[in-house]
Amino acid sequence: MLIDMPDDLAVRIEDLSITYKINVDTKKTLKNAVMRASKGEKVRMRTVEAVKHMNLDIPHGSVLGIVGANGAGKSTLMRSIAGILPPSEGRITVNGKISTLLALGVGFNPALSGRDNIILGGLASGLSKEEIANKTDEIAKFADLPDGFIDMPVRTYSSGMYGRVAFAVAVAMTPDILLLDEALSAGDAAFKEKSFLRMRELVKEARTIVIVSHALQTVKDLCTHAIWMHKGEILAKGEPGAITEKYLDFLNVGTLPSNDEDF
Amino acid sequence: MAEEKNEAQAPRAVTYAPRIQVFEPHRASLPPIRGYMREFWRRKRFSLELARFADKAEYLDSNLGKVWLVLNPLLLAFVYFLLVTVLRGGSDKAHGFTTLAHILIGLFTFYFAQNVISDGAQSITQGGRLILNQAFPRTLLPLSSAIRSFWQYLPTIPVYIAVVILGKIFIPKADVHIFSWALLWIPYVTACLALTAFGMALIFATMNVYFRDTSKLLSYTTRIWLYGSPVLWLPEMLHGWHRVILYVNPLGPALAATSEIWIRGHAPTLAQLIGLLVWALIAMVFGGYFFISRERDFAVRI
Ligand SMILES: Nc1ncnc2c1ncn2[C@@H]1O[C@H](COP(=O)(O)OP(=O)(O)OP(=O)(O)O)[C@@H](O)[C@H]1O
Ligand SMILES: [Mg+2]
Repeated sequence: MLIDMPDDLAVRIEDLSITYKINVDTKKTLKNAVMRASKGEKVRMRTVEAVKHMNLDIPHGSVLGIVGANGAGKSTLMRSIAGILPPSEGRITVNGKISTLLALGVGFNPALSGRDNIILGGLASGLSKEEIANKTDEIAKFADLPDGFIDMPVRTYSSGMYGRVAFAVAVAMTPDILLLDEALSAGDAAFKEKSFLRMRELVKEARTIVIVSHALQTVKDLCTHAIWMHKGEILAKGEPGAITEKYLDFLNVGTLPSNDEDF
Repeated sequence: MAEEKNEAQAPRAVTYAPRIQVFEPHRASLPPIRGYMREFWRRKRFSLELARFADKAEYLDSNLGKVWLVLNPLLLAFVYFLLVTVLRGGSDKAHGFTTLAHILIGLFTFYFAQNVISDGAQSITQGGRLILNQAFPRTLLPLSSAIRSFWQYLPTIPVYIAVVILGKIFIPKADVHIFSWALLWIPYVTACLALTAFGMALIFATMNVYFRDTSKLLSYTTRIWLYGSPVLWLPEMLHGWHRVILYVNPLGPALAATSEIWIRGHAPTLAQLIGLLVWALIAMVFGGYFFISRERDFAVRI
């Protein structure tokens, strides 16, 4: 295969646009479609351009932070890098195995135990049964839930416990590229510390991490690069400190400590 | 598989295992099919475990739920049997028992296909977070439903055999075969039926993403479908060109062949064997194309 991709790049995004088509009228049912067709009406569609003509290179071994207001298109971008959302225009080239921890959490089945969910998540991301069997204990240990909880149904978890397991699964996949969308928001200080350490280890092994976070301090602490997304476009890219400053100025709230605290 | 090996052997300056993927726009077209199949094959275990865990989650500690899965079609078969015999007004016990056995095995088989189709049809829209947060071949979800339906179908066979043995004890004249060489055709018939149902599940699962009432519509349709299938009536009741009804129905050849094998102890007719294969191919090709060419759209529409 001939792909024009420098060896040192983990992800290359070229002229990427992603559009959602939203049916604004009614519920999407066959009944409504037939009714509308019989009246000769057309379906009213609204399009949302969530990402607009974006260009971005992410080198191997870098930690990219993405900041931006709600609805800026950050999650959309992450999903398209993971290969979940197809581009409407442009191209994404990814070099390496991806592991994702996206906004809504993993595909956890609340009726099953944490352990069962770990197995399912691993299989879905392409690990073999044996590989997962070897990793389950490691994951359970990293998540470090209060005793016995790993074998309890996930619906009995607090959101932080849920987040712990999800993060433990994502890093245990030994991904080349790790996508984290507001992944650490529910963890407590101790777990945050632990996950920072783990992420730094990953980076040392020349793995790549992309973090979406509303916690600017996290972006400043962890990232080597940062971009600021606004309405589907990159407003600024560069050194994390400078980008978060600019973004804060834009938000016009200044660097209040409380702002750094919650992420 | 071979490709991956070659990549791994090629000398690289970097330590990570490179696997380049390109995501580009598509207009309702198929993704590179070889890569798709490779990913599908690599994660087949996921379908299996998903089916197992879904079972586990549903019947967490109620074995009663599982019993009900067998009991439900069994009771229904008796209801239909009473209905049919009352309508026909027959009183010949031996013949009545043949009818009961036919309805029983027909209903069990029909339910298998129906479950593959209707559970598969909902597997995408109920996939929720799994679809939004993980990239994997989406055909694995309906496949998982199909596996579950197969597991539910398996225990109904010994139940059928038990009923027939009981029947033969109490009605010695009963003309129903149990064990015959024709049973060797069962794997072929079941495989073709499963593929046919799976292909249709792919079609309805796709439609259900675009029109959320598809699965509801399907539940009415399958009921009518049942009456149009040789379950409550015998295939032999059709003569001349009426026999076409057996073959325009995707489940027709399978149900006719099932009755032929179980009740009469005959091998399926050539027409049935061909009908089975043709429907399996049609369903898989159309269903596969329809589903796979649209599956990258699912995440946007869920
Ligand atoms: N499934 C969807 N269908 C239609 N539109 C969507 C969908 N998901 C997101 N959008 C739209 O795309 C735009 C970008 O959304 P996105 O979720 O990427 O934002 P975000 O930057 O992640 O925001 P947040 O900080 O709140 O997580 C928004 O305008 C949103 O309305
Ligand atoms: Mg988001």
